[in-house]
Amino acid sequence: MVLEILVTALIGLGGGLAVGSGLVAFISVLGIIPRLVQLSKTYQAIHAYEIAVIAGAMAGSFATLHHLELHLPRVVTMPIGLAAGIFVGMLAAALTEVLNVFPILAKRIGLEKNIIILVMAIVLGKIVGSLFHWLFFVDY
Amino acid sequence: MANQVYLQLFASTEAKVGQELYLRDIARLEGEEETIQRLLHLPLYTISRQDNTHVVIDILTVLQKIHTAYPEIRIMNMGPRQIVVETTIQRKKMNLVLFCFVWFLLFIGAALAIMNFHEDVSMLAVHQKLYHLVTGENDPHPLMLQIPYSIGLGLGMILFFNHIFKKRINEEPSPLEIEMYQYKQDIEQYLAETETDRSSKTWSLKSSSPP
Repeated sequence: MVLEILVTALIGLGGGLAVGSGLVAFISVLGIIPRLVQLSKTYQAIHAYEIAVIAGAMAGSFATLHHLELHLPRVVTMPIGLAAGIFVGMLAAALTEVLNVFPILAKRIGLEKNIIILVMAIVLGKIVGSLFHWLFFVDY
Repeated sequence: MANQVYLQLFASTEAKVGQELYLRDIARLEGEEETIQRLLHLPLYTISRQDNTHVVIDILTVLQKIHTAYPEIRIMNMGPRQIVVETTIQRKKMNLVLFCFVWFLLFIGAALAIMNFHEDVSMLAVHQKLYHLVTGENDPHPLMLQIPYSIGLGLGMILFFNHIFKKRINEEPSPLEIEMYQYKQDIEQYLAETETDRSSKTWSLKSSSPP
């Protein structure tokens, strides 16, 4: 019995370690935190941001593993949705950037000075695609 | 040591087809004023149509040119060993049809990619669960959460590329500008290291027949 508990705990700990370090590695490779720090000029607060990521990951895993109801007004979901969207948007932007899509495309069609037009194509595509998904696509 | 001149090639430059390149177009010089004035107006190379998009000029061929014209000047190279000259043929007008196609492609691709991503990670189920967690209600379409999410998606991308608030938030280059710069530099480095021979050959032919 004790052995069973020990082994299960060990497996859980191991799995958590692997997934947690993977998540952190993923976020740091994409450079989202440095980008946010740079934009907000809050270089001193890096440790607080680390804690935010860790706390968020733990809250997320707690929420998925346990049943939890807060009974807050519906409007509260709006800032949550916005924040989730901004984060996923930054992830997507960072991924696009890692793949070097824009410099190559811009050079090919001779648009080096106005890459923003190409960026806007992707941005609008993301927004429209996402809205389309939730409003119409889900019901099919 | 009166004729000692220090020379530093630029990393890269641009020139039109038919333009004659002088030493002042490709390098900075330091030394005795009079010597430098003479050197700056030394013609080096004329860009021709055969040069395509890039010409690599090697430091050795530059030195050769200088020594042929002014054997008494001693040159010390302080910078890169070659310079990549990008030839700008009168900029072709951007093909509007091609541009629209690429824009459309990116737009549809982005839309499809985000939908695939949502399906792949069961985003709907997560949203429903999150909505239930916050409000205690069950809604198959938690649009109150999802519409801000969709708008935030675009906002996050813009924020990452820092295009809209460019000068207002800060003047550091955006990741995209760095990416463009690195891409350009990669091309130049590649050209500098692979095409040196070609340009040197045309060079030595030219320098062997004095103008």
